[in-house]
Amino acid sequence: MLSRNFRLQKVGDIDWLEKNYGFSNVGFSIDELIVLDVSRNPRNRDEFSEVLKTLTNDCFAPIAAGGGINSVADATKLLRSGADKIVVNSALHSNKQLVSELAQEFGRQCIVASVDCKQVKGNFFIATNNGSNMTDLTLTDFLKQCSDLAIGEICINSIDRDGTGNGFQIELLDCLPKLFEIPVIISGGVGNYSHLAEGLNDSRVDAVATANLLNFMGDGLGSARSQLVNLGIDLPIFDLH
Amino acid sequence: MGKKQVVVIDYGMGNLWSVASAIRFLGAEALITTNTKEISAAKYLILPGVGSFRRAMEIIKQNSIDQAILQSLSQSETKLLGICLGMQLLGSESSEDGDTQGLGLVQNTVRKFTNTADTRLKIPHVGFSEVKHDSNTKLFGGIPSGSCFYFVHSYFMGLTPDIKSVATCNHGTEFVAAFEQGQVSGTQFHPEKSQSIGLKLLKNFLER
Repeated sequence: MLSRNFRLQKVGDIDWLEKNYGFSNVGFSIDELIVLDVSRNPRNRDEFSEVLKTLTNDCFAPIAAGGGINSVADATKLLRSGADKIVVNSALHSNKQLVSELAQEFGRQCIVASVDCKQVKGNFFIATNNGSNMTDLTLTDFLKQCSDLAIGEICINSIDRDGTGNGFQIELLDCLPKLFEIPVIISGGVGNYSHLAEGLNDSRVDAVATANLLNFMGDGLGSARSQLVNLGIDLPIFDLH
Repeated sequence: MGKKQVVVIDYGMGNLWSVASAIRFLGAEALITTNTKEISAAKYLILPGVGSFRRAMEIIKQNSIDQAILQSLSQSETKLLGICLGMQLLGSESSEDGDTQGLGLVQNTVRKFTNTADTRLKIPHVGFSEVKHDSNTKLFGGIPSGSCFYFVHSYFMGLTPDIKSVATCNHGTEFVAAFEQGQVSGTQFHPEKSQSIGLKLLKNFLER
């Protein structure tokens, strides 16, 4: 386990984040930023929106935000606080109507579907509500229905690998139908740059996500990005010289 | 002379916060407004936007924002930049959601990316992609051709000989990544989301 220093960090505390990250700097190591409110208590939208505003000030990279999105008003609030895209997870299953409403309002390119998957007896099942509620829906079946959902991207996260630093659960990608039009982000398990490279080198993957390298590994992101560029992986260069 | 004021048109669609924040970062003043008087008096106008073309045009017409934009452009020093959907709205029409007429400031139409039997395009087109441009455009001054900008869109403006000074991008097909035609310019990508290169482009817009 690489996230060994959990106790030393106030995860989610905005002052800590600002002091230690400076998102305007981290911004140059990433293509996009995903910010999730994973509070288990009733969520405080206003507070999260303020955090988002502070976090994204002077960060000129695309930002997807979410966590407990239940209405168009929830989404609007985040989009007016610095988010470009809305991450929807539980509502994909419990409130499909909301997904179409969001798409009508903001366009489907604005919606990132996020699914948390757990392996049970060889099959990947989807869990909702911060991973606390196991459903009987398999990832394979969910992905088949995706073309009917008005979503712009899908982020597939492995609960089993999340936070371990042992690498992506690449087998999750075997659940994808042959022709899948929606851009795929794989998430959960990155411990070092070679894991990112494994994801990026898989033709079924359009993007790789990591929290580990951002949160717990010092300048992990910056060095991971330059290692990937050295490996010949085609990443955009942001700095103007 | 005071700060340059940039009017960011608020018609209820799009990430105005980021556009305004980029403008402020560059040292100009950003005024986010729906007020047609403020729009028609603007020297620098930005039409942002994300979402449905049809809906955007409905809101723009209902609030007479189209008239206000035309009025501001009647002052020869006014510059307009449309971003993403905002750029597409500057064209003549879009096939999104049934055919809808745009502002018609450039003669161009908008179509959806589609897969054919032998293509495997991801739709929407999301992420940083290379933009090729002709070095004599003002918007791209100091920005090398082939630089990457951030795109997120399912519809695109096709290339036509009618628009000159076009920057292009390829996603299965060549499309308009940006254009500059007199007072009117547009970017399909989000300069406010394209790191320092994007900021450079916005700076060029403010300085030209």
